[in-house]
Amino acid sequence: MTDKTLQEELNKIGSEPLLPIEKKLIGWSLGTGLVLLVILGVISRLG
Amino acid sequence: MSEAAIPRVKWTEDLIALVAGLLVFALALPNLAGFDLLGWAVTTSVWTDAGKGLGTVSKTYADLGGVPALLFTYLALLGVLSLAAKGLRLPVVKFAAAFTAVFAIAYAAWFIGSFAHLAAVTPADQKKFGIDWSLKLTNEGGYIIALLFGLFIANVLPSFAEKLKDAVRPELYIKIAIVILGGFLAVTAAGKLNLASNLLLRGVAAIIEAYLIYWSVVYLIARKYFGFSREWSVPLASGISICGVAAAIATGGAIRARPVVPVLVSSLVVVFAVIEVLVLPWVAQTFFSSDPLVAGAWLGLAVKTDGAAVAAGGITDSLILAKAAADGVNYQPGWVLATTATVKVFIDIFIGIWAFILGTIWTNYITPKPAGERTRLVEVWERFPKFILGFVATFAITLLLALYSPPQIVQKLAPSIGEANNFRVIFFLLTFFSIGLLSNFKKLWQEGFAKLVAVYALSLFGFVIWVGLVISWIFFHGVLPPTVS
Repeated sequence: MTDKTLQEELNKIGSEPLLPIEKKLIGWSLGTGLVLLVILGVISRLG
Repeated sequence: MSEAAIPRVKWTEDLIALVAGLLVFALALPNLAGFDLLGWAVTTSVWTDAGKGLGTVSKTYADLGGVPALLFTYLALLGVLSLAAKGLRLPVVKFAAAFTAVFAIAYAAWFIGSFAHLAAVTPADQKKFGIDWSLKLTNEGGYIIALLFGLFIANVLPSFAEKLKDAVRPELYIKIAIVILGGFLAVTAAGKLNLASNLLLRGVAAIIEAYLIYWSVVYLIARKYFGFSREWSVPLASGISICGVAAAIATGGAIRARPVVPVLVSSLVVVFAVIEVLVLPWVAQTFFSSDPLVAGAWLGLAVKTDGAAVAAGGITDSLILAKAAADGVNYQPGWVLATTATVKVFIDIFIGIWAFILGTIWTNYITPKPAGERTRLVEVWERFPKFILGFVATFAITLLLALYSPPQIVQKLAPSIGEANNFRVIFFLLTFFSIGLLSNFKKLWQEGFAKLVAVYALSLFGFVIWVGLVISWIFFHGVLPPTVS
């Protein structure tokens, strides 16, 4: 892709508000990650 | 049976890496029965007299001499990789010419890196070579020299870099190296099975964390604060947070992004990986030499692309061991690299699963496909990096041989696998040089690229590196490699 078309490509990005399903994906992923961090961290310390 | 009915193998870099890696491993095994098939390959020792730097990896072939060994090694690699090029439908003659230059420059870098003033580590080594100073880079500093050579050519001699492009295949080289690495790691692990299994479990835990926390935060940053569309944000989040090129392409494909999007993200991934490789191993040596496996896991989580991460793990292994040795602690080599490779392999395994999850969400909720068309579970297998099967196979076979063979076989196992590992080092080297050649820093200043660079830099240096460090510390702090007397 040339410089110009890259710039055009990036300029073309329109406004796409976060959908509820994306918020859910981010929330669940982060929430599960943090909860598992505590659980797996404790287990690995005990092991 | 008609010709049309015979299914043709579709050769990909992934499949070729699997076959080539297994071939090297298989050729090393007859040495257990006294048939040394790989001992003629070239190896480089730390030198002060250039004439004595090259030699054969096995004493059986010592009479061959270093330069002929180098020539035979080049010819063997040229033969196997030219076949690979044919499988990939590349112009074989052009590939062979380009590979000749790539091999020559990369091996020259390795040879220079083994010069005693660069590589000698301990005062005893310096005394042995009759020198009073050394940069103490270890001979793996040759990787960095190869990377710098590649960067120089890519950024100062771009027309020459263009001529080499057919043989610039870091993903192919590192995947072959990882298949071979399985055997080497099994030899290392066999003596300390408890530590090795502990490391595997901690590696899985670290990866689950990295996926869940990294991806969601980077996706949120790209979408909410930088205004990227979903089509750009998914490959960006995957490239920055998971495993660079492969993840950007797999997840981009899963949400049906246009191919150009993950390709552009991938070019950024490589450039930033180079910056990380040039900096992080020395940071790890400075701050984590007392916690070597934290350093190993951290590099696996922080450095994107398999090639850069595993290779950085190799350098860090040498640097930390050298520093520890200077302090009187002699760790067994290979454990830092083993930790980085374990983390990276688990990351690769999870790419297919994550792509499947995203594909399912996108198909059902964001861009629904026509009724009846659903993301298929078989896509997880299709996206599964097959070279990992080779890594698992070489690891399992070597471990079984180490645990259940008669003592006279076990005694020969380390030197035999060492001959295969010698090729792993050469493939690492080709990877480093190739990564350098692909890193055109001018891209960062390309008009329109600034926003991509900004989200990448902010996420990587402001979040991913630090969270990776915390996760590595939580799971690997206090787990030390075994020491040797």
